[in-house]
Amino acid sequence: MNLRESVGIALGAVRSNKLRSFLTLLGTIIGVMSVIAVLSFVEGLNRYVSQKLLNAGANVFWVDPYGFVTSQEQWEEVKDRPPITLDDADALRAGVPHAATVIAMADGSAIAHYRNKQVRGVAIRGRSAGYEVVDDYTLGAGRLFTDVDDQRRRLVCVLGSEVADELFSGLDPIGKQIRLGEENYKVIGVMAQKGKLLGQSQDRFAAIPVRTFQKYKQERGSFGVAVKSMDQASMPVAEQEVRNVLRGRRHLGPRAKDNFGITESENIMELYRNLTGGIFVVTIGVAAISLIVGGIVIMNIMLVSVTERTREIGIRKAMGARRRDVLAQFLVESTTLSLSGGLLGILAGVGLAVLAGAVTPLPTAVSVPALFLGVMMSALIGIFFGSYPAWRAARLDPIEALRYE
Amino acid sequence: MLITIRGLHRIYEVGSEKVHALNGVDLDIDANEYVAIMGPSGSGKSTLMNIIGCLDTPSGGSYQLKGKEIGKLSDDELARIRNQEIGFVFQTFNLLARADALHNVELPLVYAGVRHEERRKRAREAIDLVGLTDRIKHKPNELSGGQRQRVAIARALVNRPSIILADEPTGNLDTATGEEIMAAFQNIWHQGNTVILVTHEADIARHARRVVRMRDGKIESDTPQAAATSAAAR
Ligand SMILES: Nc1ncnc2c1ncn2[C@@H]1O[C@H](COP(=O)(O)OP(=O)(O)OP(=O)(O)O)[C@@H](O)[C@H]1O
Ligand SMILES: [Mg+2]
Repeated sequence: MNLRESVGIALGAVRSNKLRSFLTLLGTIIGVMSVIAVLSFVEGLNRYVSQKLLNAGANVFWVDPYGFVTSQEQWEEVKDRPPITLDDADALRAGVPHAATVIAMADGSAIAHYRNKQVRGVAIRGRSAGYEVVDDYTLGAGRLFTDVDDQRRRLVCVLGSEVADELFSGLDPIGKQIRLGEENYKVIGVMAQKGKLLGQSQDRFAAIPVRTFQKYKQERGSFGVAVKSMDQASMPVAEQEVRNVLRGRRHLGPRAKDNFGITESENIMELYRNLTGGIFVVTIGVAAISLIVGGIVIMNIMLVSVTERTREIGIRKAMGARRRDVLAQFLVESTTLSLSGGLLGILAGVGLAVLAGAVTPLPTAVSVPALFLGVMMSALIGIFFGSYPAWRAARLDPIEALRYE
Repeated sequence: MLITIRGLHRIYEVGSEKVHALNGVDLDIDANEYVAIMGPSGSGKSTLMNIIGCLDTPSGGSYQLKGKEIGKLSDDELARIRNQEIGFVFQTFNLLARADALHNVELPLVYAGVRHEERRKRAREAIDLVGLTDRIKHKPNELSGGQRQRVAIARALVNRPSIILADEPTGNLDTATGEEIMAAFQNIWHQGNTVILVTHEADIARHARRVVRMRDGKIESDTPQAAATSAAAR
């Protein structure tokens, strides 16, 4: 039919009264904008997290007394479990053939001192040798610590690049003595920079041998064990082997539950997905409400338009327009209207996402399906809320419409 | 018979009062007749024209067009008849205010589903016919009353209907322009079409070959008339 004409009429109406059109379309604009912005944000987060977190811990799982605790009740249940000891870790290293690397770990934090300089909030990572494979760091300078350093509980450390930069600002840190908390350590290496994850620096740490950590920082308490399996496929086998070793060491009967926990990065991803899913659902709700309000405003404007143009409808019918022609004309108009709102909303949403990506640590990525969704949604709003006014127009009696003053 | 009307009634209800705008009209009109409908104001002329033009529906009686009972047709069929069979010229022009002359004339072709280029071509031809070639891009409010009337006539002709209905087509026009428009109708009639026009001016009715007089919603007289000799022949 006269699609071009109808679109033209609608766009003309939008353009001729910009303020009114803007107010009319505000609901649609806000609705589409929030959907686009949130989808872009969630999409960006997804990509970022799966890239950083999953790649870092590829084929890695963690063993500790508690497992992946997500609620208070769960915590009550697991909090009195026996600790994991360094002997447990050694037993796992010996008894899990499908593990490529097994490391023990313990974490603390301290102030780092070098001469008159100090750096606060340095994460102290007690680790077995070989931890860089698990934590996904590469050596920038110097050397890594070895099993021998660990066995002898040597006071040596490998610094994260941020700590090295702040303490030594330009000087070569290798071979220097620094103080971490109470003890002095010799810097034997510096890790290459890894960057930030969700705004958190990953380079603000000092790694020391785990037995050194045990001796000076933590006399009792539990250690964690990170296991990297040979490959993706052998993960479940490695997990089962870990279970067998620990159950054996703890003399658990066949019916007793594990009194230790195994966590995969997949578990963390899952929590994360639930979290973003929650944000997603809330925003979709808000967007739905503003879209409905926006749709009602569009319906109102279309009803006014139908009344104002009763004579025009009469003329068109007198010239042979069928009901469906009039219906189509007004549906095209309301859809054009809501689509212009949708496009503005997409622009605003993308703008918001890009802006958020630029000025905050939040990662954003505009997803193409989200743009399609925005277009689809606004078109559906136009069709749905335009139906009633269009139907009113279509069933007008020609002669009465012509007589309308 | 092209048009067969029997016992036609049209009753308007205004509040509790009933107005018998048409009160039992019988009328036959054959193809290629040229009929003038006359009568005092309020006698029901426009009401009758609107029913003949399938814009309005009777309250009672029967109206057959080309043998089809109009009251039994669906909305879409009526729209088709308005589009294909009838060219209606309104007393008050009824042009689309926001569209230019060309687009107004195109309108029936739009709903006839004629393709764009063909539509343009035929609309231009119809506008040429009424002598408005140089006003093709003008909107109704940029045209004089007579020019608007001619746009309305071009629009009524553009889809080549066999019946032209004109309700006081010269009511707003000076004598000279009125005569020009009557010449156009004469022409259409000569091409084998049926022309029915409402007028209260004897000068205008003179062009028709048959004069139907109405009073109080009824037909008072129905008389044939000899060919006019003056202006129309110019
Ligand atoms: N929509 C309406 N509602 C109520 N009454 C109407 C309506 N239209 C017309 N009438 C009445 O019907 C009667 C006939 O009206 P109509 O318009 O057919 O007269 P007419 O012969 O065309 O008059 P004129 O020469 O003044 O145009 C009039 O009395 C008028 O008041
Ligand atoms: Mg009248």
